[in-house]
Amino acid sequence: MANKTALTVRSTRFYNGMLNWLRSPIHLIGLAALLFLAYTIAWPVLKILYTTFLWRQQDVRLTGEANPGHFTLYHWTRVLASDMSMNLFYKPILNSLGVGFAVSALSMLIGCGLAWLVVRTNVPWKKTIAFLAVIPYLLPSWIISQAWLTFFKNDKIGGTTGIMEALFHVSPPDWLSYGFVPIVVSLSIHDSVFFFLIVGAALSSMNSQLEEAASVTGAARWTILRRIVFPLVMPSILSGFILIFTKAISSYGVPALLGTPVNFYMISTMLYSSMRSRLTTEANVLSLTLMLISMLTIYLNQRVVGRRKSFVTVTGKDSARTLTSLGRWRYPAAGTAAVVMILISVVPLLVLLFQSFMLKEGVYSLSNFTAHYWWGGSDPNINTGEKGVLQNNIFMLALKNSLYIAGAASVIAAVIGLILGYVVARGRQSWIGRMVDQVSFLPYLIPGISLAAIYISMFAKPTLIIPALYGTITLLILITVVKELPFTVKAGSASMLQIGKELEEAAQISGASWFTRFRRILLPLNRKSLMSAFLLVFIGAMKEMELIILLITPRTETLTTITFYYAEKGYEQLTNVILMIIIAIVITVYFLAVKFGKADLTQGIGGQ
Amino acid sequence: MFISKKKTALVLLTAASAMTIMSACGQDNKSSNTLSNAVPTDAPASSNANNASAPSADPSASPAAESVDELYAKAKEEGKLIVYSTSGRANDAAETFMKQYPGIKVEVSKVKSDEMMDKVTKEQDAGQFNPDVIITKEVSGAVEEEMVMTGRYLKYLPEDIAPMVDEPYRTQAEAYANYVEFRTLFYNKSTYAEAPVTNWWDLTTPEFKGKVYTADPLSSPAFMDLFTTMVINSDDMAAAYKEKFGKDIVLNGTDNAGYEFIQELFDNGLIVLKGSDDVLDAIGKAKSEALGLAVSGDVSKNEEKGWTIAPIYDIKPKTSVPDSGYFFIANKAPHEAAAKLFIRWMMGEKDGSGEGLAPFNEVGSWVPRSDVKTKNDISFEELNLWLFDGDALYKTAPKVRDFWIKQK
Repeated sequence: MANKTALTVRSTRFYNGMLNWLRSPIHLIGLAALLFLAYTIAWPVLKILYTTFLWRQQDVRLTGEANPGHFTLYHWTRVLASDMSMNLFYKPILNSLGVGFAVSALSMLIGCGLAWLVVRTNVPWKKTIAFLAVIPYLLPSWIISQAWLTFFKNDKIGGTTGIMEALFHVSPPDWLSYGFVPIVVSLSIHDSVFFFLIVGAALSSMNSQLEEAASVTGAARWTILRRIVFPLVMPSILSGFILIFTKAISSYGVPALLGTPVNFYMISTMLYSSMRSRLTTEANVLSLTLMLISMLTIYLNQRVVGRRKSFVTVTGKDSARTLTSLGRWRYPAAGTAAVVMILISVVPLLVLLFQSFMLKEGVYSLSNFTAHYWWGGSDPNINTGEKGVLQNNIFMLALKNSLYIAGAASVIAAVIGLILGYVVARGRQSWIGRMVDQVSFLPYLIPGISLAAIYISMFAKPTLIIPALYGTITLLILITVVKELPFTVKAGSASMLQIGKELEEAAQISGASWFTRFRRILLPLNRKSLMSAFLLVFIGAMKEMELIILLITPRTETLTTITFYYAEKGYEQLTNVILMIIIAIVITVYFLAVKFGKADLTQGIGGQ
Repeated sequence: MFISKKKTALVLLTAASAMTIMSACGQDNKSSNTLSNAVPTDAPASSNANNASAPSADPSASPAAESVDELYAKAKEEGKLIVYSTSGRANDAAETFMKQYPGIKVEVSKVKSDEMMDKVTKEQDAGQFNPDVIITKEVSGAVEEEMVMTGRYLKYLPEDIAPMVDEPYRTQAEAYANYVEFRTLFYNKSTYAEAPVTNWWDLTTPEFKGKVYTADPLSSPAFMDLFTTMVINSDDMAAAYKEKFGKDIVLNGTDNAGYEFIQELFDNGLIVLKGSDDVLDAIGKAKSEALGLAVSGDVSKNEEKGWTIAPIYDIKPKTSVPDSGYFFIANKAPHEAAAKLFIRWMMGEKDGSGEGLAPFNEVGSWVPRSDVKTKNDISFEELNLWLFDGDALYKTAPKVRDFWIKQK
């Protein structure tokens, strides 16, 4: 020892220090995660950023100054500081932000209210209400907006009279039929299930002794809600807020349908327009602004949640959970909730189902009912000879592919989400935790098409140990996982934040490795969060189309690409049939999860 | 030192991932280099190919057009065919093709035209040459500029069928198109006994204030092409204005008559809807005095959707600009003989009576062959359409789009 020089002592110290740092699972997994995310997410985003500063061959269409291959600020000035900017950027971004905040606020009210009702009170019919709450999410969001139009349409877009106008002979004003109000309402109804599930989880694992202590000292029910319940579930609320906010500002179908007649454009509709007009750099600039907004909201989220506050509700001690009694309001509350849910979820579903059996739109007589679209053969007068869905020879292959992709992607995404959620939750102090939080959220905002285009070039040839994945199902699974990662990481971190450290530490002292701790303590505790994440990703993956349409080859067709084909040709009934099939599959999976996975959404995600 | 085997494995995995990322960066630089090198060398070869339909330099069409039997023999050896198509009509043609020529399996991928451009570009840059036949519409001239001129899509028109093909698709256009659609005005048959307008400028009169619908050109480049063509042919538009109003047109802050037309449409309460179907729903279901801009092909859906709409085929100065469905053979197609055989099949073979032509010869679309009888009321040669000027459209479309955005 005495022979060692100062240099070797220092380098030994440095070496040991580094090993120690690596030994902490947060750092190790965080590092691996960051590398994975760097390749699958950060790299594509940097590429997009890079291209916005270059002249491209296509830019000669816009201006004579174009000099392909050279650096330029033209694209950014065009979007931010030209005579186009008002209509191209500033008005849409204000609209998008407005819609985003309104949708999040409204969904928060609906979702949290419902969650509290189902999880913390003694309202009857809990399982039914919880089940119905998930249904709006199963339907594509444009269906709700179509329903709104059917009801509130006014003269402006002609066609058959809207129901309200027909019944009450009052033409609804423009602001009610189109634009901001219907967009916000449609999106809120569709997305409030996120709040319901995430906040429901947090509420269900809360120890009611906390509330009881307060009420014993004389606090009113409202005060308890405001000063104890609300602060404790804040991370979940914020997670839900961010998810819904970003989803709302990037949604396309609903604003396109309801906003165009009154020139209400959002960034998402402008972005779609740029992509279809082949002005790809303009599209990239717009999507980068969306990403910037999201990074800002996440940063704010991190500041509010803070580094040292504790949101632990699941500790080593046992917890009691008594339900708040609603007294006389039990049945009325249950009744109202059930009726509202049925109106928003079941009615559109039934309408879709009926329409898939109708030969001609709008004719409600028995002779018009046919099973042709389900299993009919080819009839040249109907849909130019397109066969019924079940007779379509690609159908079985597409069904198999859809199930495989959705199943695999949801399992992988849920587990990875939980692991990364662990890093984010436990690593709040370290820069790794915060970085993972930021980077894992980026895919939410990269338009599916951009991500897919970049993935073609990234995975078309083998790179070192990664084989050429283009054209395989594996690539579809990978891209679905990456796209859904934001949700699963947010959900995972929200539920991890609730689990007290002492549970792990007890195991650590007894000698368990990190892997054992995860497998035998954290995983079971987060089982319901895992289940709900799995379910929501499964639903999302089954409905996903835009993301995978570029990567599909004839052998990897899915149900949604068949839907795309039908929608392009305007075969409404066939589209409805496929939608019904997708919904039936999801409901089956949901039932199985409840029966055998013991997922109980009345308890929300997470907790016992 | 106390490192368990698991930790070592994890550290190695991390290091491996790091190397992968660095190599990915390296890989990318290489492919971007090949792209910039590929463009100049390919361009002269393909512009030779584009100038004549049976060039000696173009490998796709040999001097003596191969006979069907020769092609079939070669195609059977190839055994497969991969088609990228924007239209579902390719599927119908594929089914009859496989019955006619057993032994060749056809796989059709349905992709939108702009996505197809991305897909093929990225694939080819990465060294993958998957598709054989490309069936696509134009994207405001971008297909010609970015795919045809760079040699990614190759023209193919068999010599024996060429004489029957109408211009411009025989030699002038970027390729042979098997079917042509266009956007035009529709009116409600139960309200109007005959076409209520004969001149585009009729739409800017007080009679039609707030009664003109269109699909959003911002999300549909094909609709924008109509307006862009009006801007390109603004002299025609100015002449039509004079014909209707008897005086010269006065420009209110716009560059030419085409832009003025767009501005006056907006001033007259133009209503923009999401898509062609929405427009026809708006005017076609109940009694309505309104007119709508929609795709010619939608006439065939009258029965199904419960509409009572009819198109206007003759509008001054010209009705519209063609939206052509072009046929290409992809560069370095792996199954070339099968590709040629399939294209011949879809063209209807030499006499135009082959079954493969049927999906393309529908109401609302026209086949530009002089020996094919159309199902429409008016034949292809009688249509009063502007020429599709890919080059001009490519350069002008973004400016018209910008103008439209500013009008909102």
